[in-house]
Amino acid sequence: MNARSWSLGGTPRLPTTVLVARREVRMRLRSRVFVGGTIVMTVLVVVGIVAASLLAGKTNPVRVGFSGGSQALERTFTASAAALGAKVTVSDIVDVTAGQAQVAAGTLDVLVTGSSTAPTAVAKAAIASNVESALSLAAEAARLSDAGLSPAAVTSAMDLVPVQLLQPPNPKDNENLFASLALGILLWIALGQYGNMVAQGVVEEKATRIMEILLATIQPSRLLAGKVIGIGLVGLLQLTIVGAAALVAVHVTNVAAIPALGVASILGDIFWFLLGFLFYATAYAAVASLVSRQEEVQSAVAPIGILQIAAYLLVYAALPNPTGPLATVCSLLPPFAPILMAVRMADIDVPFWQVGLAIALTVASIVGLTWLAGRIYANAAMRLGTRVRFMDAFRG
Amino acid sequence: MAADRVLEIDHISKRYGDVVAVDDLSLDVSAGELFGFVGRNGAGKTTTMRIVLGVLAPDAGVVRWLGVPLTFEARRRIGYMPEERGLYPKMHVAEQLAYLGELHGMTGAEAREAALGWLDRFGLADRRDADLQALSLGNQQRVQLAAALVFGPDALVLDEPFAGLDPVAVDVMAGVLRERAEAGVPVIFSSHELELVERVCDRVGIIDRGKMVASGTVDELRAGGRERRRVDVPGAADHWDVGVPGVRLVESDGSRRLFELDPGVDDQALLQAALATGPVREFERVEPSLGELFRTVIGEAGA
Repeated sequence: MNARSWSLGGTPRLPTTVLVARREVRMRLRSRVFVGGTIVMTVLVVVGIVAASLLAGKTNPVRVGFSGGSQALERTFTASAAALGAKVTVSDIVDVTAGQAQVAAGTLDVLVTGSSTAPTAVAKAAIASNVESALSLAAEAARLSDAGLSPAAVTSAMDLVPVQLLQPPNPKDNENLFASLALGILLWIALGQYGNMVAQGVVEEKATRIMEILLATIQPSRLLAGKVIGIGLVGLLQLTIVGAAALVAVHVTNVAAIPALGVASILGDIFWFLLGFLFYATAYAAVASLVSRQEEVQSAVAPIGILQIAAYLLVYAALPNPTGPLATVCSLLPPFAPILMAVRMADIDVPFWQVGLAIALTVASIVGLTWLAGRIYANAAMRLGTRVRFMDAFRG
Repeated sequence: MAADRVLEIDHISKRYGDVVAVDDLSLDVSAGELFGFVGRNGAGKTTTMRIVLGVLAPDAGVVRWLGVPLTFEARRRIGYMPEERGLYPKMHVAEQLAYLGELHGMTGAEAREAALGWLDRFGLADRRDADLQALSLGNQQRVQLAAALVFGPDALVLDEPFAGLDPVAVDVMAGVLRERAEAGVPVIFSSHELELVERVCDRVGIIDRGKMVASGTVDELRAGGRERRRVDVPGAADHWDVGVPGVRLVESDGSRRLFELDPGVDDQALLQAALATGPVREFERVEPSLGELFRTVIGEAGA
């Protein structure tokens, strides 16, 4: 009995909690609500990403056609465009009139005519400024070369001015912050969903009266912990499926650069999501055990929902000044730490002691909440009918 | 050794606000014994059982098993059927029983085997993969009893296990309980069906307003009750019994009458009074049923 090595006072600690969690996972994976919900979420996310890529046409490279003498510019133009961050494809156009027709029809974005030293660009409406600059640079290089400069001299003449920054930029650039913030907020919303699932599950056990058999068999805090862990695992699985589908869709459509979301920041967001889930789900379970009917769940859990929204709003209040006292203090407090600390960590380098303290406080409060919730659970479980007052349930 | 396997309820009390649910109640059930718990609604049967299972904490008193106060681990070894039935409605029957078996400490394989065994026993083998809610109420009741039995409990505490069962199911269930008792498991159950309790139980406890007002074998309880005689005097006058001290008319059915005798009253006085009115067709000693004893005891306790 390996599991017994975890036991305290001869009671197997791990097994009953694991059994409860396993049942939760099995039952949820089998339910149509879960399977259907996951499919719908995955489809919505993929469709959203594909739609975004279609709307933001910027990912398509600018198609530039060169005719006649200007074709000599193609290589320098491609190199300059790459240096300026413009995505281009180049092609040879034999007939200028046909090329103009292609531009008019939208199958070609830019047509370059004329000689290499005096080219003219034809476009339908406007040319992206970096494409225009790249073309100008290429023409300038052709003119210098034409004036007799050696290729090496031309290259050095065309060198961009090196810039030395006195204050190196934060490696956590804006795109990274935005992506992490978006992920954090999505996880926060998901957390509310799964917390509600825990609340519904608790009330189900109370309403179907199986609670009495369970409480004669398992200690309430273990029943509760098993439920929270099981639903947490199911939630994580669902998020992983949807997240993986989203990553694949992003990669295929090329709508955004995936490296913007570093692995570290994804793991950080997931870590804080798990802590936040354990904290809030336990609170949801405790509050839900005070009522007996599904209809009453929503009003019972409302205070926790408000706390979650407050934490969400605090993100916007704290973000402009991530090192200020409001952000620092709130990111240490358990109800807010899972989202605030995650966002601060994406934005700035938070001192280790603050991260450690926030984790320690959150974990300690999860342990305390589990004990408190177990007590409330046990005392409220046998009281059906009217809603049980919190203090009555606490005293027993 | 089996004699030491006693479930002992020692002077427990429980009150809800001003209402006394259980008042200084004691009883013990030994290995191999079927103990029937009888009382009116609200008498305290369910509260007592919940206290035994640790679902409720008593205000005073203690429950012992094998001579020591019940630990949580020992409680897990008690099979319990609560008054308020409850299982997962949307879980498969066999899976549900196996889950409960595992929660009570069985391995997965043992639990599955036991679950299927009990379903077979209760004639539900073909419903093993049905959701509980798809079963009839009577069959749900059988599953509920199987849930109390599945892990091979050390003791059984069953609240109204026979309620809602058809006569065949009652016989099957009574047979199972008898078999468990003979295997050395103390069995305590409550019921409103006094005839059934009388037929099935070794000992009976009558509870009223949280107090145990009588307990013992049915014969012992009978011995404490009043003697009854059935007399049939076809030609008798209407009020011929009047004047026999200590004898009371309980009921009359045509010319047949049922009398109750106060303790120590000689039934020959009643016979002579009957003979004085006319020829006596029938003069019979009647055993009071448990139901009559119950009403008598409750009546006295209430007075």
